[in-house]
Amino acid sequence: MKYTLPIGPVHPALKEPVLFEFELNGERIANVDIKLGQVHRGIEWAGMRRNPVQILYLAERICGICSVSHPFAFSMAVENAAGIEVPERAEYIRVIMAELERIHSHILWAGVAAHEIGFDTVLYLTWRVREKVLDIIEYLTGNRINKAIFMIGGVRRDITKEQIPKVREALDYYKGLFNKLVKIFLHDKTIKMRTEHVGILTKEDALKTCAVGPTTRASGVPKDVRQDYAYSAYADLNVKAITPDIYRKKFAGDVYDRIIVRLFEVKQSIQIIEQCIENMPGGEIVSEPKIPKLLAILKKAVGEGIGRHEAPRGEVFHYVKLDGKEAPYTWKARAPTYNNVLAWIPMLKGEQIADIPIVAASTDPCISCTNRVSVIKGRNKYTLTKEELHKLSVEKTRGMRNGIL
Amino acid sequence: MTPEQIVYRFKSQFGDKIKTVKIETKEAAVKKNKFSIVWLRIDREIFRDAVKTLTDIQQFPHLSVVSGNDLGDEIELLYHFTVNYGEHLKEIPVNICVSVPKSDPKIPSICDLIPGALITEREKQEMLGVEVENIPDSRRIFVPDDFPENVYPWRKDEKGIPESMIKKLYEVK
Amino acid sequence: MKITKSFERALWVFHVNTGSCNGCDIEIIDALTPRHDVERFGIRLVGTPRHADVLLITGPVTKQMEEPLKRIYAQTPDPKAVIVVGSCGITGGVFYESYNLVGPVNEVLPKDAYIVYVPGCPPRPEAIIHGVMKAWMVLESLEGKKL
Repeated sequence: MKYTLPIGPVHPALKEPVLFEFELNGERIANVDIKLGQVHRGIEWAGMRRNPVQILYLAERICGICSVSHPFAFSMAVENAAGIEVPERAEYIRVIMAELERIHSHILWAGVAAHEIGFDTVLYLTWRVREKVLDIIEYLTGNRINKAIFMIGGVRRDITKEQIPKVREALDYYKGLFNKLVKIFLHDKTIKMRTEHVGILTKEDALKTCAVGPTTRASGVPKDVRQDYAYSAYADLNVKAITPDIYRKKFAGDVYDRIIVRLFEVKQSIQIIEQCIENMPGGEIVSEPKIPKLLAILKKAVGEGIGRHEAPRGEVFHYVKLDGKEAPYTWKARAPTYNNVLAWIPMLKGEQIADIPIVAASTDPCISCTNRVSVIKGRNKYTLTKEELHKLSVEKTRGMRNGIL
Repeated sequence: MTPEQIVYRFKSQFGDKIKTVKIETKEAAVKKNKFSIVWLRIDREIFRDAVKTLTDIQQFPHLSVVSGNDLGDEIELLYHFTVNYGEHLKEIPVNICVSVPKSDPKIPSICDLIPGALITEREKQEMLGVEVENIPDSRRIFVPDDFPENVYPWRKDEKGIPESMIKKLYEVK
Repeated sequence: MKITKSFERALWVFHVNTGSCNGCDIEIIDALTPRHDVERFGIRLVGTPRHADVLLITGPVTKQMEEPLKRIYAQTPDPKAVIVVGSCGITGGVFYESYNLVGPVNEVLPKDAYIVYVPGCPPRPEAIIHGVMKAWMVLESLEGKKL
């Protein structure tokens, strides 16, 4: 007997929370339909009425978790279009901020994934560990979440010699913690039972749906903008895309592989930050420090440009066209989960209802914001809330542990 | 393949249906590695064949997104592809730009060649008023269902957002 | 709305996201984690509005989320208070004009709602705890009186 299960706005990974409608056959999912649009704020339309420096502040607030990636890609697109050169020291500082953000975002995701499986203690412990990275970000830029450190043509603040010892101390703290994180997440029997062979995305599906980020790297496709496309200081640093065969020989593209990719990327980020601090060149930090002069240059510029960056969730893409007026003629901003939404469909077919939270959270959309879940069974209609869906997931873990399921 | 080889492949197949070609090359950071971007402006009639040529160069090209420009009498759609991903410093973004006139805003869909293009094609239908032929699913995607017809947010002519629909949140009543 | 004595012990909170960028949401969850640890005051995040005393609302209200927000407010039992976290819900913040936003939160909720505002973009977890404490103290002082 088939029935339809709508699951209300969940996961605003990008600009929107998502509404799923599942067609169920018993407890198994037969088909999925995805509806977007609940967080549509009209940002690209607003961008056509503001000047580029104001758009930088608007771009930061597209998503609070990857709030460095959107200004990074936007300033690269404007510099490409207007022909502005960025000094070398600014490129290295930009890369350090982007990698600090990657560490914070992956540890945040690890806590949320553990919460969806049912390990609340791991959520509290990993978020406590994440506070150290937020302290360093506040020490370097002044704020924890919306850092406002990018400017078109460079960065706004410098990293001085006195600040470096504290950064090194935080990096040593995380290096010592890495083995413990691997033991908690990868060696634990219950996590293996819940995440292996669940939510599989085959290599061919990942290529066809143009998925990006750790979602596609865990299926064996080595797509990583830092490795392939020479931009900013990554061109000097020789970054390699991480696929799950760094840890185990045979992999299937399931949720366990995505945990492997994200944990090893944290280790890679620590190495990249250390390399940047060793090789930081001297010089200025911004090509035009006076903002009215910069706005006058941008007002006269004509051209179009693209900017791409590897955010913690995948590739961020911005396109800007300037044509001699104060506001840009066109601005297109594309967040990474935009491409990963279509990848949810092959991942969810054939799974059980209790696996929906962990599979949907494994592609790392931002925090869930489930509204209501309605189950329509024949003539009776009753509602399940997000907490009850979460409870189903937790009970499955307890059942598997006790050997019942 | 180098950018010049890609451009040569397109030119030798389509001749003068390609309106303009531009290859930008820039350098990055201290070691001055080069990266290039290819821009191609083509006619609407060879659009699907051009995308097929791209799939001959690499079996699954990566489509980032489709952007749109409102140019007065025409609407220009830019398809941002990349090829040669997976190898160190070898990826080349290829941007294919197609113009459609506003009197006949139709363009064929590429969802059978690249299934990942569905969401971005649906977005162009509601934001710019372009009709995508043979699209598998043509519902609205970001805009609410009770948004008025014939109002397209990215357009700059009379079909854009009228002043009566803009809400200023900071006003005190 | 009559304030009762139950507010002296513990405050149960339900969080609603009406279209925000998630910056305020992660700072709210950060207030529960061991560094700030707001559970020692008795404040707890619950999963359904029917159990809640206080609603925490973030984000400018989009057209698609206006109806769910009104329904959630109606489903929360009396006595209740509302805390609006972040500049988006207060006067729009960065999104001060748009075609898909329905206005600051106090224009969507009924006129007799009791609202406390916590400004910031995003406010620090200490500021959110301070806002919740202020709401609590005012609600306690109105104990027994009719509003």
